[in-house]
Amino acid sequence: MLEFKNVSKEFGPVKALSNINFKVDKGEIVGLVGENGAGKSTLMKIIFGAYQADSGTIFIDGRQTRFTSPRDAMSQGIGMVFQEQSLIGNLSVMENLFLGREQEFRRFGLIDFKKMAEASRAQLAKVGLDIDPTIETSKLSFSQRQLIELAKVLTLEERISGDLVILLDEPTSVLSEDEVGLLFEIVNKLKTRAAFIFVSHRLDEVISLSDRIYVLKDGEVVDEVKGNKAKASNIQASMVGREINTEYYRQDQRLPFDKEAAPLLSVQNASVAKKFEDISFDLHAGQVLCLVGTEGAGREAIVRTLFGMHSLDRGAITFFDKPSLKITSPHAAVSNHIGYMPRERKIEGIFASMNIAENMTSSQLGAYSRYGLLKKADELKLAASWIDKLSIKTPSASTDCIRLSGGNQQKVVLAKWRSTGSRIIMLDHPTRGLDIGAKEDVYTMIREMSAAGIGLIVIPDTFEEAIGLGHNITVVKDGRAVKNFNCMQEQVTPFDLVSAMT
Amino acid sequence: MRDILKSNYHWVTLFTLVILVGLVDMNFWNIESLLILMGDIVPLFIMALGLTFAIYIGGIDLSAQSMANMITVIASLYLATLGLWIVPVCFLVGVILGGISGLITTRFLVPSFISTLAIGGVCYSLAQWLSGNRALYMNSESRDALFGWMLSSTGIVPNTIFVGAFVFVIALLIERRSSLGRQLKAVGSAELAASASGLLVPRVKVLAFALSGGLAALAGVIFSIKLSGGAPSIANGFLLPAIVAVLVGGTPLTGGVGGVVNTLVGTMIVAVIRSSMLYLEVAATHQQMVFGIVLIIAIVFTIDRSKLSIVK
Repeated sequence: MLEFKNVSKEFGPVKALSNINFKVDKGEIVGLVGENGAGKSTLMKIIFGAYQADSGTIFIDGRQTRFTSPRDAMSQGIGMVFQEQSLIGNLSVMENLFLGREQEFRRFGLIDFKKMAEASRAQLAKVGLDIDPTIETSKLSFSQRQLIELAKVLTLEERISGDLVILLDEPTSVLSEDEVGLLFEIVNKLKTRAAFIFVSHRLDEVISLSDRIYVLKDGEVVDEVKGNKAKASNIQASMVGREINTEYYRQDQRLPFDKEAAPLLSVQNASVAKKFEDISFDLHAGQVLCLVGTEGAGREAIVRTLFGMHSLDRGAITFFDKPSLKITSPHAAVSNHIGYMPRERKIEGIFASMNIAENMTSSQLGAYSRYGLLKKADELKLAASWIDKLSIKTPSASTDCIRLSGGNQQKVVLAKWRSTGSRIIMLDHPTRGLDIGAKEDVYTMIREMSAAGIGLIVIPDTFEEAIGLGHNITVVKDGRAVKNFNCMQEQVTPFDLVSAMT
Repeated sequence: MRDILKSNYHWVTLFTLVILVGLVDMNFWNIESLLILMGDIVPLFIMALGLTFAIYIGGIDLSAQSMANMITVIASLYLATLGLWIVPVCFLVGVILGGISGLITTRFLVPSFISTLAIGGVCYSLAQWLSGNRALYMNSESRDALFGWMLSSTGIVPNTIFVGAFVFVIALLIERRSSLGRQLKAVGSAELAASASGLLVPRVKVLAFALSGGLAALAGVIFSIKLSGGAPSIANGFLLPAIVAVLVGGTPLTGGVGGVVNTLVGTMIVAVIRSSMLYLEVAATHQQMVFGIVLIIAIVFTIDRSKLSIVK
């Protein structure tokens, strides 16, 4: 009933989707899987009308159509159940269900809440929810709200003539096992009413629920398998795709580090409620540890906790073999030679309206001022030396960072932490959004830092990065370290990593 | 070319206005009257300098006017007893009250426009209470002995201009040369990045509001010396033009760029607008309306919409 033919989408020079062929039949549950950045969310957004395809055609029941907006897609039978829930907490369940459609319940210019409650009960019955529709939405559990979200989409049934296609975007990511079971039961029951597109990074769930599975990689459909014939290992292989090539990763450039020396950082059974649990590892001087996992698996929370941004609920973190040293704020982290390059470079990494020298000394103003006055000449000298060392492309050291390319901005941030004398540096997606040349530069800098005896924790952008850079790789899944790889002893493949994460 | 024009539009605005007003009335271009014009606006300028720091970090200080009001009362009451000490004492009062606004903002996460509005209410009440809600006159002997020089001129330059220049240089030093100034810039430019660089963001913010309070108090002292008295509402009508001066000068509400040089230009723009209203015979009752309109226009032109997702 819904069919995509040769659909492509580009963002500037980046091809997000190319020639996607995709269809959903009536009463079918279609799974959609792929690595981070494979194009899943772009495809979803085109399906529910948030993005428009650059080329290709969309058919509904064999009739060519297009979706100009989410509202337009909805009127043609496409419903979206959002991962970040779209319900408004301080409205009642029924007000949420009929948000924007209150006029259907108008009587003498006022809303007839009795009638609305009645209609709501009928909608809630579809998803098997027996709750009072006048209750405030925020009082419900997460899984109940998820079902209300589904019920809200199902109100489309009565409004449109055709059939429904409902998109479920990572609907199980925060549900318990029982709740997942319940959701699947409901979805299976609703198959008579609608077709579903199910997106999840939990492969076993996709396999058990879907009739057919599309595998996306680098913006293309690389595989299509029947649900009952699907095997996790085959799907994982096509998600990863390429041949493993040691030279490509440049693993030979990785230097050994001294494991016998006391670790720079020792984490034991660290837990932060709702973020991660029972994480343990050691980090030695010169070691590169890569944390691999899906979005939201808890990797970012781990590095942020080490940087003093979250407080530990259980476990212990020992820095520099000094058990008395507690890092409870970023200020304490920086004063103790710990550096952190956040993932959102433009918001947390760089000061766009400050120049290169100002950016570099922002974490070491104490060393670049005396009696509260800045030593500007020294700042410029520092900036000039790093511009030279890292070949940062800029007219001068006093150029505002907003004028630099992403790769050069990233070099500025790295130079900042190195010149601050950091002994531990944590890099969250250091190559995100950079072109290939700039990525290579960042890899080189990471190797240099490792050679200089800095301990590094890297949250890589791709598996290749993890394998090419890491002495060790820890796979984090749902807040737990599910697998550790020692890359100096074994050849790790992307396939191994995907198998552990999904 | 467009970039140069865009980053210097406050200068462009100033010169365009000066030329336009001069074309309407050639008397406007008289150097002596221009200097008097600038001398008159010094208290407002000093208040605007303080506000610059609050706005530079992305906040606002709505207590500035009430602070100046209260200080005129305090200065009038205690000049005779405190003598020259009145200046540091008043400055300190401003720093403390401004610091309290900052603490309320950073500790309890109350937006600065609310915390400073509340502290402004406190200042206003204190002023009413201290003055018995009436206009006070300074001890003229003390005033003439200690501050008489401020009211005269050196050659054709009114001495208040030197006072304004002195405060300006200090403010410029803080902004451009001090570690604090750099931290203010960092917080205004990207607060999350400042925090991730290990800066003590709450402390920096408190200091910004303390500076704003202190300079508003200083504005109050100078204003009361000029008028030789004080009253709880004598400086009413300062706040709007002071905010206009900062924003027209080119320090946007989102902070991080601009600074005290911009505020200098902005204040001159305000001075020109104000005197042009005299030349164009705009009634005094209409002046605040004009500043209100100019404020909105200035915000519309300076705001960086990419930083805003929702406006409330």
